[in-house]
Amino acid sequence: MVLGRMILRRLLWVFPVAFGVVTLTFFMARVFNGDPTELYVPPEATDALRAQIRARLGLADPLPQQYIHYLLDLLRFDLGTSFTTGQSVASDLWDRLPATLELGLIGLSLGIAVGIPLGVIAAVYRERWPDFLVRGVTLGGMALPQFWVGLVLISIFFVTLRVLPGPVGRLPIGVPLPPRFTGFLLFDTLLAGDPALWWQAVRQLALPALTLGFSTASPIARVTRSAMVEAMQSDYIRTAIAMGHGRRVVWFRYCLRNALLPVVTLIGGVAGHIFAGAVLLESIFAWPGLGQYALQSIERSDFAALQGFVIYASLLYVLAFLIVDLLYMFIDPRIRA
Amino acid sequence: MKISRLPLATLETSAVARRVRRKPKSYWALRIGAGILVFYIVVALLSLVWTPYDPLTPGIGDGYDAPSLAFPLGTDRLGADMLSRLMAGARYDLGISLTAVAIALTVGTSIGTISGYYGGKIDIAILRGVEIFQAFPGLLFAMLVVQAVGPGITNVILVLSFVGIPDYLRLARAEIHAKRHWQYAEAARMVGNPPWRVAFRHLLPNSIGPVLAFTSINAAFSALITASLGFLGLGLGPNTPEWGSMIARGQDGVMTGQWWVSFFPGLAIMGLTGGFYLLGDALSDLTDPRRRQ
Repeated sequence: MVLGRMILRRLLWVFPVAFGVVTLTFFMARVFNGDPTELYVPPEATDALRAQIRARLGLADPLPQQYIHYLLDLLRFDLGTSFTTGQSVASDLWDRLPATLELGLIGLSLGIAVGIPLGVIAAVYRERWPDFLVRGVTLGGMALPQFWVGLVLISIFFVTLRVLPGPVGRLPIGVPLPPRFTGFLLFDTLLAGDPALWWQAVRQLALPALTLGFSTASPIARVTRSAMVEAMQSDYIRTAIAMGHGRRVVWFRYCLRNALLPVVTLIGGVAGHIFAGAVLLESIFAWPGLGQYALQSIERSDFAALQGFVIYASLLYVLAFLIVDLLYMFIDPRIRA
Repeated sequence: MKISRLPLATLETSAVARRVRRKPKSYWALRIGAGILVFYIVVALLSLVWTPYDPLTPGIGDGYDAPSLAFPLGTDRLGADMLSRLMAGARYDLGISLTAVAIALTVGTSIGTISGYYGGKIDIAILRGVEIFQAFPGLLFAMLVVQAVGPGITNVILVLSFVGIPDYLRLARAEIHAKRHWQYAEAARMVGNPPWRVAFRHLLPNSIGPVLAFTSINAAFSALITASLGFLGLGLGPNTPEWGSMIARGQDGVMTGQWWVSFFPGLAIMGLTGGFYLLGDALSDLTDPRRRQ
């Protein structure tokens, strides 16, 4: 019961957050950017045509009226129409969501799969060379700009070694997408019965996923290490070792579980960022995801698209922290009471 | 009156703990981090009076000269010397992140102190506002504003400091809020200090440790965002030798094998942010008694 009420309260908190974020974006974009009509009219257009286009873009009304219109549309789950693509923003987001999710899921899983063991190793060999090695590498991983790591990987694996394809998106140029079932190419290619295409998709995904994995693994490893170190010095661990449990059992069964709370918090925050689209990463690898969409909407003053994206990102943020709280209860029985 | 037992309790446990665990360990990280930072500051200052070539003049080399004795780090597509540009870049990336952090620290900590000290409705309102603002992706916010108001050092600094304010606010607020009923605060009030004096003269200096440790982490983050903005062409204008925009300029070269134009600015960024991170880690180890092992 308590659990249900907590989830409900968290979900309801979505509304004020989304409302605040939308209002902020709405006025910020319009006040700062002024009138984007010029971007969408031919230079030789007459004033009458300009006014007509402005009205069609919904920019002719006074600002408060535009705002109320937008909110009323939102209540009907209508995110408006993108100036650039001419489609509804909701369907634009829906088209691009799988690309971001696919890259994000693979990159995040890589990061977790590498980061947590590295952190445990560093903690177990504290103040000895494996620890220093892990700390050095992960420090680099946190200090390097993600887009630079991507470029270096391209330079090594595509330009020099020629073992992986160049940064041209989810499939090589000219290869049509398989019919959409899930939107995830790794599934859709198999459902379409085309293992060769699946392999091409995997190869395209490799470099951006590696980049994302590297920059995700680093903070995860560091937080795991310091939480593990703290747990290993606690009385219950000393007791467990004194009672004759094997070190491995103690480390992985008792220590790690107690050390996981801060790690889960971190992963929640990281996931919120990743699934909101890694803007720079997507732009380097020409990945047709949400990050690129957001970048484009900023560059072209595409208000509806930008607002739609921001709503999505803030929902994601709230959701990520809800999931983190639920995982806490799963990991830590004290919170469940 | 509420008198907290917390300070006494922490003292007792940490005295026991320290006997077992005390071991000075953060000093090497502190030294390396501070050393790196000093190196960057020296390079930035040096670039004001001397660089091997003029960083803004193209055509010194033939364009895409590989690293050699004449050009230790090569030249970019237009033939400008990379080493000179990197040195001048230290001014921009270091200066921008330090200034932004200073502004965010001052503003965020002040608002946080007031919010935490007075509590009540203002406090809740501020916290809720901050939470909404933080749901907004930081880089996206910076992109949106810089795209709108145009590139330029002042704009980038202001945006970065704005993005940083909520974190300082929350940190300072949490510390002050927890300590405002501790005995020394009550004592300061009892002898007749006005509220602002208790908050800023008595509570703030005792709560500033975690906040100061965070400035270093925040500076690293600011340097990364500066570079990201520069990379997107939203930073300081086309020919400014800022490391992120230098990486963007070299992006075509990467595809054709002239890796050095993008490579070295990335190393420069890594050194700076890495130094900040080391320093921040060491500082938070030293200032947070729970992490002082």
